[in-house]
Amino acid sequence: MDLDTLLSFKWSVMAPEFIILGVATLLSVIDLFMKKESSRTPLAWLAGAGVIGALAAIFMQLDTEVTSILFDTYRLDSFSKAFKILLLLGTLLVLVLASNDKKEDVEENRGEFYYLLLAALLGAMMMASSADLITLFVGLELLSLSSYIMAGLERQNKRSNESAFKYVVSGGIATAITLFGMSYVFGLTGETNLFLIAQTMQDPELLKHSFLLMFAFLITFAGLTFKIAAAPLHMWAPDVYEGAPVPVTAFLSVVSKTAGFVILLRFIIITFIAAPGIDSESLLLEVQPYVMALAAATMIIGNVTALRQRNIKRMFAYSSIAQAGYILVPFVSNSSLLFELIWFYLLAYLFMNIGAFTIIQVLSVQEKSNDISIFRGLFKRSPWLAVPMTFFLLSLAGIPITAGFVGKFGIFMGALGLEPAHYWLAAVMMATTLVSYVYYFNVIAVMFFRDSERTRVSVPRGMAAVLAFCAVSTILLGIMPDLALDFFYGNFDINEFFMNIEAVDTHTHDH
Amino acid sequence: MLQMSWLIPLFPLLSFILLLLFRKSKSESTAWIGVLLTGISLVMSIGVFLAVWQGEGIKTEGTWFQMGERAITMGFEVNPLNALMLVIVSLVSFLVHLYSKGYMHGDDRFPVFFAYLGLFSFAMLGLVLSPNLLQLYMFWELVGLGSFLLIGFYYFKPEAKAAAKKAFVMTRIGDVGLFIGMVLLFWQVGSFEYDEIFASVKNGDLSSGMLTLTALCIFVGAVGKSGQLPLHTWLPDAMEGPTPVSALIHAATMVAAGVYLVAAMYPLFQASEAALTVVAVVGGLTAIFAASIGLMQKDIKRVLAYSTVSQLGYMMLALGASGYVAGIFHLTTHAFFKALLFLAAGSVIHAVHTQNIEEMGGLWKKLRITGPLFLIGALAISGVPLLSGFFSKDEILASTYADGKYGLFWLAVIAAFMTAFYMFRLFFIVFTGEARGETEKGVHESPGVMTFPMIVLGVLAVVAGYLNTTWFGTFLSDYLAQGAVELPHGDHHGPAWIPLVATLAAALGIALAYLIYQRGTLSRDWITRSLPSLSDVIYNKWYIDEGYDQTVVKGTRGLSKLGVLFDRYIVDGLVTAVTTGVQRLGRVGSRVQNGQVQSYGTAAIFGIVILLLIVALTGGYFS
Repeated sequence: MDLDTLLSFKWSVMAPEFIILGVATLLSVIDLFMKKESSRTPLAWLAGAGVIGALAAIFMQLDTEVTSILFDTYRLDSFSKAFKILLLLGTLLVLVLASNDKKEDVEENRGEFYYLLLAALLGAMMMASSADLITLFVGLELLSLSSYIMAGLERQNKRSNESAFKYVVSGGIATAITLFGMSYVFGLTGETNLFLIAQTMQDPELLKHSFLLMFAFLITFAGLTFKIAAAPLHMWAPDVYEGAPVPVTAFLSVVSKTAGFVILLRFIIITFIAAPGIDSESLLLEVQPYVMALAAATMIIGNVTALRQRNIKRMFAYSSIAQAGYILVPFVSNSSLLFELIWFYLLAYLFMNIGAFTIIQVLSVQEKSNDISIFRGLFKRSPWLAVPMTFFLLSLAGIPITAGFVGKFGIFMGALGLEPAHYWLAAVMMATTLVSYVYYFNVIAVMFFRDSERTRVSVPRGMAAVLAFCAVSTILLGIMPDLALDFFYGNFDINEFFMNIEAVDTHTHDH
Repeated sequence: MLQMSWLIPLFPLLSFILLLLFRKSKSESTAWIGVLLTGISLVMSIGVFLAVWQGEGIKTEGTWFQMGERAITMGFEVNPLNALMLVIVSLVSFLVHLYSKGYMHGDDRFPVFFAYLGLFSFAMLGLVLSPNLLQLYMFWELVGLGSFLLIGFYYFKPEAKAAAKKAFVMTRIGDVGLFIGMVLLFWQVGSFEYDEIFASVKNGDLSSGMLTLTALCIFVGAVGKSGQLPLHTWLPDAMEGPTPVSALIHAATMVAAGVYLVAAMYPLFQASEAALTVVAVVGGLTAIFAASIGLMQKDIKRVLAYSTVSQLGYMMLALGASGYVAGIFHLTTHAFFKALLFLAAGSVIHAVHTQNIEEMGGLWKKLRITGPLFLIGALAISGVPLLSGFFSKDEILASTYADGKYGLFWLAVIAAFMTAFYMFRLFFIVFTGEARGETEKGVHESPGVMTFPMIVLGVLAVVAGYLNTTWFGTFLSDYLAQGAVELPHGDHHGPAWIPLVATLAAALGIALAYLIYQRGTLSRDWITRSLPSLSDVIYNKWYIDEGYDQTVVKGTRGLSKLGVLFDRYIVDGLVTAVTTGVQRLGRVGSRVQNGQVQSYGTAAIFGIVILLLIVALTGGYFS
């Protein structure tokens, strides 16, 4: 590849990524020259400005047609734009949450968090734009490695250390499984470009190996369930969520999970959409029962185990597992509304979960505990915390007039609207939702129906802003879901996702 | 007027918001905010009702959101059925607001109580105005939320807290059915709108199996909300809430929402004979079953609660037996006399500070207004001629008989006998005889702000029956005939002996109660002694709660424990062999960790291997 080719690429496509990369580099340099004692909050503001800049860049790209650079390894299409907005928005809220997290210990007062967070974000954004197994994997690893360190940032805290260690080990296993599966895909097709893989899948020659292909699918799928915290690779979540600092937990449960769904959609849908099954035309249809079983198991394990948790962070970990199960439903049932359903649910989930974690952070810092009793009598003590928390819990439970209801309603409609309808999957979803009412309402009951001698809670200004934003969005999207859906339909054409531009030409030239 | 009807629910919502802002206020005049705003709703509801009476109607809708190619709509609708409901709900809500001004006097969280009442009234009125199932469902859940907050209002009582949670979760079980039924209908019909659903049903677009399935799913929702068998156990527990709440939610409005739902979806039910039969049987069994429990309860509010369950059963029985008008008629009269009974019971509790009827007695002379009003309520519910309950109950019996459901007919007659008996048992124990215990000292009549609402309801409990009588005029059925529902069979005027039988049953019940509790001719425990095991079962409410505890609650707990055990031990156990091997070989890592990460990893690998094995076995690789 010579300089001319390099310069001929439309690098503006990567503008948001460049902004994040630049700011992250800048932050690490500035951090180097800062005094040990001085506050690292300015770094947070700078990082926030970078994220806002990247968001602005994406909004300017909204009208851009599908473009791909670097020999179609990197593409800008509706899918990548739509999900990058989610990733950036989530990171922005986590940044505000973190910047208000005052550390008493100087040793803990470090700037690494901010540029690690941006590095992780960069990885996630790369995944959203990748059209090649290699870049996809590099993005995934960039996200994972940064997250491992972030989980262990509270070095004095044993739990944080343990959490990071568990995360690294489980993550390593997951990566090994994913790569193993991907290697089969590569071995069978001889390509790394997703679209070329998809083309090769239609090769009649491949029919002989359709069983191996199914194995490849299941192994890769299982490996990828790690990032979204779904069965069978969900068990790390409660331990890691419990031990990691709250902003990191919020990041893992929202941004990292979104990235997990991004790679799942990108990789699985594009490459396997036309793959042949063993007995039938379609592999995706044939594996459906198994993947559905996994989704059902995720919903059941998450919701049922959450019932017994006294530790609020663990409870939310299981809740987040359960939520991953719900989002898997449109994915496994191949609903025609797949993209908008997942996008909308993730958006709703972003607001309700980050909002809830903000309150958990405020309370657990003040009470120095993670037990559910920190919520006692919150309505009397600090109604301005109790009311938003109620919104978030109602939304997580899927009660009307909240974004969570619309999201769940859409998923449910999608599952029953297909031919044949997935009755039992929908039934599992409804039944487990019912179970979830018990633990979500338990928190509400503790807030409203308990008295407490504890004092009022003071909320730092930045967190109050995050809370207000999340609460208003949760309700607004519940009352007027069109705000988000119109934006989605108006700006994104999901057909672009499948549009294979220039892949064939450039690639063959290159060979 | 009708164009403005969407404003009706907004006044209570405004009251909710204002009162939340004033929640710290110690002044009890904050109650007037709630009273005034629900008063406006009441006036508007009456205006709307009168307009509909003259044959008007309205339906306005707009797109709420678009998902794929489907547009989901929102709006409001006024038709004969929901105009009537509007009046009932806003009237009872208004009276209960007024009554609570006196009843809740001195409570710390006085404004909060009125705020919750406002939220509930908003949700209930919104539910009634909904033109489609989805919107109904949303308000349906909000109603549940309001009820949750109100039942748990006395949160310092552990029972109240438990009851609030139980009510919420139990009714949610029903909601699952409603939700599934609703979505199924959507995919069959392509709309949530009532009229489009009815049009499809009429065209025969739905297979008969699908008709029955969706109707039954929706009925499950009604069963949960209206406390029908077997989801009734939350309603008696809900009596832990303040008494005005019981009058509003658990007598006149929320529990009637289930009956309203079946009535609103009636054309769907009419299309499926099987569904109607299920409705009738569940209703009939609930009526007699709950009445039998009511015979032996000692808590004044619990007797009324079981009585409510039983009366709701009557309404369902009527609807199931093609007695559409009879069901709505009874819903209306019941709203008045049951709200009256609850408010009167509240007045009694207010005076004697206990709910145990064995500690009451001889209150007739002391409560000169409450006593007669309670008697009116008791006479009305027992079906004594010329009072409202007589006419509506008679109509239910007549439709059941006309529909050929003779077994259910006789069940309903026996239940009527039981109703009269337990109501007058209550009346005689509480109001006649000697004063017992607490009631000796300081008993005084409630203030005017409490007695006025009771007097209004008392008048209605007497006259509401003349809405629909054979010899005075069938106003109600003419009025409802303007609606979407094609009235089945017209009027049911069964054989002339039916009112006689009903009257006889009521008279027998009252007489028996008189002999036992007033005259003492029969010993109080002669039933208990002659049928010890049966009365034991009845006293313990047929052991339904215990049954749920043993099966569902324990089952879920067990499952949950299993989940934890699975995470902690089973997985460990499964993989210990492997992990100990690894640990022994390396003897590293175990100092930092407790060995769990290894087990997680091993579990994951095992999971995947098992998955692949299953695929290999079922996927036909080896075949």
